[in-house]
Amino acid sequence: MPTLPDGSIVVEQVWKKFRSDKTVPLFYEQMARLRRNLVDRSTPDYRWVLKDVNFEVAPGESLALIGINGSGKTTLLKILAQVTYQSAGRCAVKGRIGALLSVTSGLHPDLSGRENIFLYGAVLGMSRNDIRRKFDTIVEFAELADAIDRQVKFYSMGMQMRLGFSIAAFLEPDVLLVDEVLAVGDASFQQKCLARIGEIVRNGTTLLYVSHDLASVEASCDRAVWLSDAVVRAAGPTKDVVTMYRTAVEKNSTLLNTKQGVVEVKKAEIRAVDGGMLRSECEVEVRLVLNAPEEQMATFFVGISQGTAFPMFVIDHTGTMPGGDFEVICRMGYLPLPKGHFSLWSAITGHPKGKKDPYLPWQPLISFEAFGPDRMEPPEGVMALSPVYVGADWKVG
Amino acid sequence: MSDLQSGNFRRVQPLMVTDVATIPAEPPDDILYTHRVKLRDSVRILWDHREIVYTLAERDFRAQYKQATLGIMWAVLSPVATLAIFVVVFSRVKSFGTQGLPAPLYFFVGIMCWSFFASSLGTGGTSLLTNKALLAKTQFPRECFPLETMLVNGLSTVISFVPLALLFVIFGRAPRIATVWVPLLMLIEVMFAAGLTMAISSLIIQMRDLQQVLPIIISLGIFMTPVIWPFSKIPSHFHVAGGTLVNGHWVGGFALNLQIIYGFINPLGPVIANVRQTMLLGGHPLWGPLAAAIVGSVCYLIFGYKIFKRFEVNFADIA
Repeated sequence: MPTLPDGSIVVEQVWKKFRSDKTVPLFYEQMARLRRNLVDRSTPDYRWVLKDVNFEVAPGESLALIGINGSGKTTLLKILAQVTYQSAGRCAVKGRIGALLSVTSGLHPDLSGRENIFLYGAVLGMSRNDIRRKFDTIVEFAELADAIDRQVKFYSMGMQMRLGFSIAAFLEPDVLLVDEVLAVGDASFQQKCLARIGEIVRNGTTLLYVSHDLASVEASCDRAVWLSDAVVRAAGPTKDVVTMYRTAVEKNSTLLNTKQGVVEVKKAEIRAVDGGMLRSECEVEVRLVLNAPEEQMATFFVGISQGTAFPMFVIDHTGTMPGGDFEVICRMGYLPLPKGHFSLWSAITGHPKGKKDPYLPWQPLISFEAFGPDRMEPPEGVMALSPVYVGADWKVG
Repeated sequence: MSDLQSGNFRRVQPLMVTDVATIPAEPPDDILYTHRVKLRDSVRILWDHREIVYTLAERDFRAQYKQATLGIMWAVLSPVATLAIFVVVFSRVKSFGTQGLPAPLYFFVGIMCWSFFASSLGTGGTSLLTNKALLAKTQFPRECFPLETMLVNGLSTVISFVPLALLFVIFGRAPRIATVWVPLLMLIEVMFAAGLTMAISSLIIQMRDLQQVLPIIISLGIFMTPVIWPFSKIPSHFHVAGGTLVNGHWVGGFALNLQIIYGFINPLGPVIANVRQTMLLGGHPLWGPLAAAIVGSVCYLIFGYKIFKRFEVNFADIA
């Protein structure tokens, strides 16, 4: 394809199959395949990990691949990096590819940090002169000036990851493929990595980014592709795709069996006290209709999360839980949520908390939409908007 | 034609949602991917990535002697130790003869040639397995791995020229003018070793059993190669059929030159024989076996490389 400019990616009808059971030696598998082909053709001996994937990325664009574990994101990235090959279809990546599929796999434990910079740099496609020129910058970025002549096996995990990422961060390719490698080091180093990736993209590099961290996806990518079960479910502007993905993930988690504990949830709702929409700062009420077998002392928990299981806040109340059908009403004077999609979680444990199973295990009950004022894009270096709504009066001048 | 090629690629694309039901269970046959690489293209790409071969070799060479007290001295010491064993064991075996040369010199030349070949095969054959982590995560020609290990072994071999020079001094000899043939002989050996190593490494990664078999074959190989016995033991005139028997010798009829056939199958034989013939004895090379070795090693190289390229499509998935 001579007309494609450097830095563009075209993926057309890409399919990829894997052997279904990798532990079986290839020889036995070939025998089994032969037998199957001759006798029984019904059960395939492989599974598709990518099915009919299509998308294009223009030079300088940044695209995120999102999806749950095992949805084929990494495989797709590996195909684009030409580490492995597709089973069907066509894909083209124009220009120099920088593939950051793993941070530490290129490091050799017996060599010093200095030697490893040259080794990993070369493996990633940098020339020796390039590396020599960028050496000091890399060491400085990795914050490893003191340890650079020490053998890498004596590095801590965090140091190894810092070294690995820093080498790759100064590749300056036309296309940068990044696979979930930013979960490295401490929060401040992560921030530094994201900022560096942003800088690379602004310099015109095409970015293909795989991550489970939706906040960083939203912060650093124009478009997103959602892979689920080997198939592209949606592609388009990051915000829309991430919202769809979140909704789907939450729908799954809300389907949890609510009869795990002795307490049964019959109904759960959250509403504005004045009967209107759920708005930032309005007075809200959480209402749970429950059924318990007997009267007991118990602690009630109510929490709210955005997407993942990590709650933004949890509030609790201890009191007597009546037997039979009963109602729990929790009124909050102020909804501290910005505009967005949230989940309501709840749990009930015995009081005092013994070794007993909780009456109601911690689980999401419903998801809901909160309305509020639109916020500006976050400033450079901030990964996501504030997860809580803070009302404030501003005066400038 | 894609949007990118036609130039009407819009920067902001609308949200597109796939109807999963429209995706077929299997891809249509006409888009199936077949991995076909032209040998000339792969050589060109390999050449572009030659720095990676050097760097990986440097990595292994440095790592090999790191934290060893004697360090790089071992590259000299280990062939000398092997030599000592050979001299002690085989100098007693008079029947083979050493073509009138001092036994240590005669053996050492054979050992040098053999140990480069054996260690290339041994470490290069498993190089795809030992570099699993890189193989599954980085992108450069896969043949860099076996070739890189060969380069490391080549370096060790070059270092063992030091004890060879010492042997020349000790026995009061000098390399003959015919030594100019040695680079060609080395080239034959390198081609042979490279072809075989690439083929074997691509097979081992798919059938790990071979990993256990390989050392056995290598240790057998030293007895099937003229390292301790002279190449001349192979009959150059092996009678097959016809002719008449005169004084216990066949005259006329159909005979095979087994030296040529052997040289084609195992180019290392003529290489070792010719190194002795030229460098130590100062004679001209044995032309027939030499030609056979050249043809053989080129075949090994081309077919080995082809096999490797044929199988490389699977490497990252099964590593």
